[in-house]
Amino acid sequence: MALPDDKELEAIFGDTIDLTTFKQILEMDEPGDNEFSSSIVFGFFDQAEETFASMDTALDAEDLEKLSELGHFLKGSSATLGLVKVRDGCEKIQRYGKQENLDGSPENDVKVCLEQIKKALTAVKSDYEEVETGLRNFYKDDDEEEGV
Amino acid sequence: MAEAARKIWVTRPRASATLVTIGSNDLVDDVRDMILRKYANSLGKTYDSPDLTLRLNTRTGVSRVLGPEEHMATVMEQFFPNGQTVDEAFIIDIPRNTTTPRPSPRAPAPPIPGSGSGSTAYYADDVRPSESGEGYFPPVVGTATSPRLATKHTNGSMPHSMTVISSGHLPPIPSPGGSRPRSHRDRETHTPSPNVHSGGGSGGVGPNSASYHPTRHSHSRTHSSSSEHIVAHPNNSMPRSPGHEIAAAARMGPGTPPSPPQRLVSPHLPTLRTRKSKRGQAQQQDYQQNPPPPALNAKVPPISVLIVEDNPINLKLLEAFVKRLKVRWQTAMNGREAVKKWRSGGFHLVLMDIQLPGMNGLEATREIRRLERINGIGVFSNAPAEATPPEELTEEDRLEGLAKFKSPVIIVALTASSLQSDRHEALAAGCNDFLTKPVNFVWLERKVMEWGCMQALIDYQGWREWKQYSAKAEAMEAANKRAQAFKKQSKKNRTQLSES
Repeated sequence: MALPDDKELEAIFGDTIDLTTFKQILEMDEPGDNEFSSSIVFGFFDQAEETFASMDTALDAEDLEKLSELGHFLKGSSATLGLVKVRDGCEKIQRYGKQENLDGSPENDVKVCLEQIKKALTAVKSDYEEVETGLRNFYKDDDEEEGV
Repeated sequence: MAEAARKIWVTRPRASATLVTIGSNDLVDDVRDMILRKYANSLGKTYDSPDLTLRLNTRTGVSRVLGPEEHMATVMEQFFPNGQTVDEAFIIDIPRNTTTPRPSPRAPAPPIPGSGSGSTAYYADDVRPSESGEGYFPPVVGTATSPRLATKHTNGSMPHSMTVISSGHLPPIPSPGGSRPRSHRDRETHTPSPNVHSGGGSGGVGPNSASYHPTRHSHSRTHSSSSEHIVAHPNNSMPRSPGHEIAAAARMGPGTPPSPPQRLVSPHLPTLRTRKSKRGQAQQQDYQQNPPPPALNAKVPPISVLIVEDNPINLKLLEAFVKRLKVRWQTAMNGREAVKKWRSGGFHLVLMDIQLPGMNGLEATREIRRLERINGIGVFSNAPAEATPPEELTEEDRLEGLAKFKSPVIIVALTASSLQSDRHEALAAGCNDFLTKPVNFVWLERKVMEWGCMQALIDYQGWREWKQYSAKAEAMEAANKRAQAFKKQSKKNRTQLSES
């Protein structure tokens, strides 16, 4: 697959993806196939869904530490792929899990933290779904174009 | 009486004059303060206002030194009743006292990283390479820092510091106790190697063309096609012969702390590759602003990299990346595993994620540095040991196969945070450098390249063996590719083939 130009990518992903970051993964594909980047992206889907499930569990258990850890974990990979909205959502979860406000100031009220995480988790899931759909279409289209 | 404010001309000897505004009640002493403000760089960093003298210089030939207590407006009226012209500017004299040397246009002597203070030396923000491309070497603020420090150690007996050898990038913060002969820089800047671009600020873009990174914009055209090339990369102190700086590296002399001896700021090495050798100067200029995507056929030296990253997605990507650089690598997913793998020996570079479950990246780094220290890795003879009392080397800490640990490993921290404090913490823990996540591959390649080249210098014999091996491997690969291309061609395009 030829490397799609920025306009094309922007049309697909809007502001959900940082193109510079995402493109450097696309650039690692061998010419003519997107096996590598798609394996990364689809691997991320699995990881994200697992992590969201763990977050739900941890939220029920009111386990802030675990939530922070999970937030950090998914933040790392979403940042690597350039999924900026997901990354920011994960950072929120990480912060409140550490009982910190977004600016790093301490937030001592556990209830507030859990409430904020709950909100952030809902938002990040929807951001994730949006970008997931975009990515799935992107890879589907590419397969069709190549006539595989 | 004189008007409320007026301007007077002042000048340094044989220099261009400038106007200074004085108030009606200002004394000569006040004027000196204003002059220092105006000459904040050339004078202000070295002299205090009482050091200066102002000399009157009228067209009629009156020339005398003004006392600090004289009333400036009165002087003006007395000697320049009709106004002062540029040619009559007051001359600013500075003391010619040899014990107060002027700031050298060259860099001050570099600190010997870590000297005297064990493992925690690190540099302030302003010498950290930023990852934003052009700002790799930020404007140098310290050029004129304390000339006393800069020249005090002129006749130090230390032959070479690794910092100089490997990076040529001299951290501007003088450390007390740092010593380095200033002269050798000049001796070694010129070398027979055709690939060395010496000379100040070639390219000279922006604030980065500071005087003591003279070769930062140079791009070696070819990489590693002869022995000189690789040693030509570290910027400034170009060795004359490949053997020379091996010896030099091994001679890290007194002043080098027991360990971990070198906290290096990343040497800046060019990343242009053979492939691009035909590109013109214009593109090279362009490259400085917009680094091209990594040339994936890069010939990175034969280093062995340990990737420490807990997220499998990130790990997979980093692995794929180093694979393309054709370096050997292993992975670890937490700090403890990283230390364990490192202990097996042979690693040149560690890409260390900082936030890891269990033992985090900083703890792992500290542990590696501790083990290096007590096993004497990178410690050369007659290093003063009194700074830190030698730690007992227990059986548990003894490294197997010391021969595999030629030098302290380079640890590049991968941090998700762009906070300076986190970076400082990483450096303090013993990391040599850092990258911010998400990792930019161009930068990653540069780091691998830079540090790899440095390590190749240290292990020159190993590098030579690799060269021979890789030349063969390359030839084979090229042959394979041709064969494959031919097959593909024949499969896809039989008609065309039959025509030929």
